Amino acid sequence: MITRVTEKIKFDLVNSSLFRVQDQYTELIEKASSMKEVNRPSDDPLGTGKILDYRSSLSYIEQCDGNISTARSWLTVTESKLTSVYDILVEIKETALSQGSDTASAETRQIAAASLETLIDELRSLANSKLGDRYLFSGTRTDTEPFSETASPARADAPVAGSGNAFDGTAATGGSYTGDANRTCVVKIVSGGAFGTATYQLSSDGGKTWGTDTAVPGTGVISLGDGLDMTLTAGTADLAAGDLFTVRAYAEGYYNGNGEALSLEMAKGVVLEYGVSGEDVFTAQGASGGTDLFAMLEDLKTALEGDDADGILAQLDTINGSIASVSRYTAKCGSLSNNLDILEQGNEELDLRITELCSEIEDADMTKLITDYSAKEIALQACYEMSSRLGSLSILDYIG
Amino acid sequence: MSDLFQIMNTTKQAILSHTTAISVTSGNIANVNTEGYSRLRPVFGSKGTISAGAVDIEVGVEISTIERIYNRYLETQVVEQAQDVGYNQVQSDLLGQVDGIFDESDGGGINELMSAFWNAWSDLSASPEGYEERDALVSAARNLTQAFQERSRELTDVQADANETLASDIESLNGYLREMADLNDKIVEVEITGGTASDLRDKRSTLLKTMSGMIELDYYEASDGSLSVFLSDGRSLVEGGVSHALDVVVNPSNGNYYDIVFESDPGTAINDRIHSGQIAGLLSVRDDLIPGYLSDLDDLANNLVSAVNSRHGQGFDLNGDSGGNFFSVGSGARDMEVDAAILADSGKIAAATTVDGNGDNALGISQIQDSLIMKGNTLTVGSFYSSLVSRVGGDVQNASRSLEHQTLIQEQYETSMESLSGVSLDEEMMNLIRYQMGYNAAGKLCAVVSEMMDTLIALGE
Repeated sequence: MITRVTEKIKFDLVNSSLFRVQDQYTELIEKASSMKEVNRPSDDPLGTGKILDYRSSLSYIEQCDGNISTARSWLTVTESKLTSVYDILVEIKETALSQGSDTASAETRQIAAASLETLIDELRSLANSKLGDRYLFSGTRTDTEPFSETASPARADAPVAGSGNAFDGTAATGGSYTGDANRTCVVKIVSGGAFGTATYQLSSDGGKTWGTDTAVPGTGVISLGDGLDMTLTAGTADLAAGDLFTVRAYAEGYYNGNGEALSLEMAKGVVLEYGVSGEDVFTAQGASGGTDLFAMLEDLKTALEGDDADGILAQLDTINGSIASVSRYTAKCGSLSNNLDILEQGNEELDLRITELCSEIEDADMTKLITDYSAKEIALQACYEMSSRLGSLSILDYIG
Repeated sequence: MSDLFQIMNTTKQAILSHTTAISVTSGNIANVNTEGYSRLRPVFGSKGTISAGAVDIEVGVEISTIERIYNRYLETQVVEQAQDVGYNQVQSDLLGQVDGIFDESDGGGINELMSAFWNAWSDLSASPEGYEERDALVSAARNLTQAFQERSRELTDVQADANETLASDIESLNGYLREMADLNDKIVEVEITGGTASDLRDKRSTLLKTMSGMIELDYYEASDGSLSVFLSDGRSLVEGGVSHALDVVVNPSNGNYYDIVFESDPGTAINDRIHSGQIAGLLSVRDDLIPGYLSDLDDLANNLVSAVNSRHGQGFDLNGDSGGNFFSVGSGARDMEVDAAILADSGKIAAATTVDGNGDNALGISQIQDSLIMKGNTLTVGSFYSSLVSRVGGDVQNASRSLEHQTLIQEQYETSMESLSGVSLDEEMMNLIRYQMGYNAAGKLCAVVSEMMDTLIALGE
């Protein structure tokens, strides 16, 4: 069949072919200039979704790496402080050994006591060291200086009422604290009302975990456990849900921090505790036991000052215990650092894999691009060539 | 018996007919570039024979009709195809804008800002008492909420854009309907006397094609030559010389967007009776596709807000107070905002799980990125968003692929139609030569008859 080909068909055909080739041509130029295969979601809808997921993962990994280096610098500083503490403790042990022997005299012991005092100051400042604005050894109370100069008896601060509390009566701490570690008690009002009707929950770990709902007694005296209680005296406004009262209780000794550990996410889903608390290393408080370093030093100083050879030798066990504890936690810092190295390596490998996967979808294959580009260039040239000749051949040239 | 005058008369008819043929050819040539022009063809017809003894003799020629070369079947194809092309064209245009809204290839999109937001929480968990980290978190959160608001606004803009286009489309469609009715009147007027109003018919065909690009329609030609146009459900748009105009009315239950109605019946929306053409494309983008994206975006914002708020409320801020809301609770993406109390004092961010202030609550919030809180607890916020972007990309790709495909088909149909009805200069030139030869021959005949006349007259002297 012979198709009638009119002038319009010819011109339209060249026109639409030109548009098509130009379109593909510009697309290639865009890909080449951005070096990307996917420049907008519609270029590769599924790929775009994957690219976004990959990018989130990469950003996640980057964040974890940042956390790892934060934790690592914390551990490095902690480790070096603990090493210094170790050295000083070894020195003190030598002093105790030499001053506990018969060769020592009252005078040498006085001199040793004086130099011990300097060492104690040094140890305290090491135990109170900071990284940036944060104390290394106060558990999660990183804004509180962990070790005081003098020992305090067991005590509890006055209750701190939450700033949003509706209750406007007073709260006072009562009883005497018999717990073996520093503790932050939080009383949270669950349902409001007058004494006797309102209920509360008690947390002994600062608010992390909560006890069961209990009615506030009509007397307003809430038992916080371990001999401690809080007495509420009614004001004009009743207790309301959400009211908070915080009571900090301290065991006897020098320590003001807590026994909680800092933690960070080091790899997707992997939350690691890092750092060591002063409670663990330098006190006998809490679950891990140990020895009370500063009490021991005070006793040693008293024995030296009192020229008490037996008293001096009696501290040796405790000194050894302290040395063991410090070296144990130094080692723990080292092993945590090792853990971090392993996680970091895992992150790195993951990062590499994901970057590769992402690149496979997203990045343009230059070789293919250039080949395609040349092919399109030829097509475009041909189109132009055609269009320039379109008018030159006509029946009008042959009839006259 | 034939006589010389008889021959002379035949000659005259031949000359006149060929002149008419050449004049038709000249009209075709002149309209070689006229859009929608259908070529005309002179049809030569014999005037019959007279009996001359034993034989019949041809007694002349006339142009019996001037035929408009046109195929109604091809026209139907082109008209139907124009509806599909119109539908896909407008979808592809509008979705192209949406494609740009969700374009994250250069970063800066919601995906990246969401990562920055989680990372800011993670940073805060490493240093919960730092105001620097808190302020950085607030600014990351604000960037995120602004991105949500912006996307939501941009999508709504596209919707409003579609709505306005719809109103102006209806207006121009009304103009076309009136024009169609006018043309019907004129065509009937011309053709009632037996002629063919070919230029008016060309105009009407072009108009029909334009209209069908806008709205889905059916049509038929009545015996008087007038064209009746209907909506696909049979309601009439043009009947002979009468047009039924459409109108738009605000629909308060659909975000105050326009409903399409007949001017004569403003209470009945006919949106759902239009399935093709540009207007249907606008409706589907406005009422279907974009609301879908918007509701996904709102779901994402709402779930994110409630997950973060609920975890935030379990924690304690820098003063040891219980956490309040981190995000203010709104209606979705369009008004997502960090809570005013947090904006006023970043110390109110509840980063800690205890009143003593650790970073564990911040850590917990940063891990919301891994929890399956979307789509009935099957997807994380990140993967939900990527699947939304994939869906948008897929829709855009589909629309532009269909457009490409439908346009190719349309080009093919139009080529077939042009192949039949269009003007070919080659052909016209050949015809010109043919008619010129006929004309020349008739002229020669005239000279011969005239010579014969002279001979006859000389015989009588």
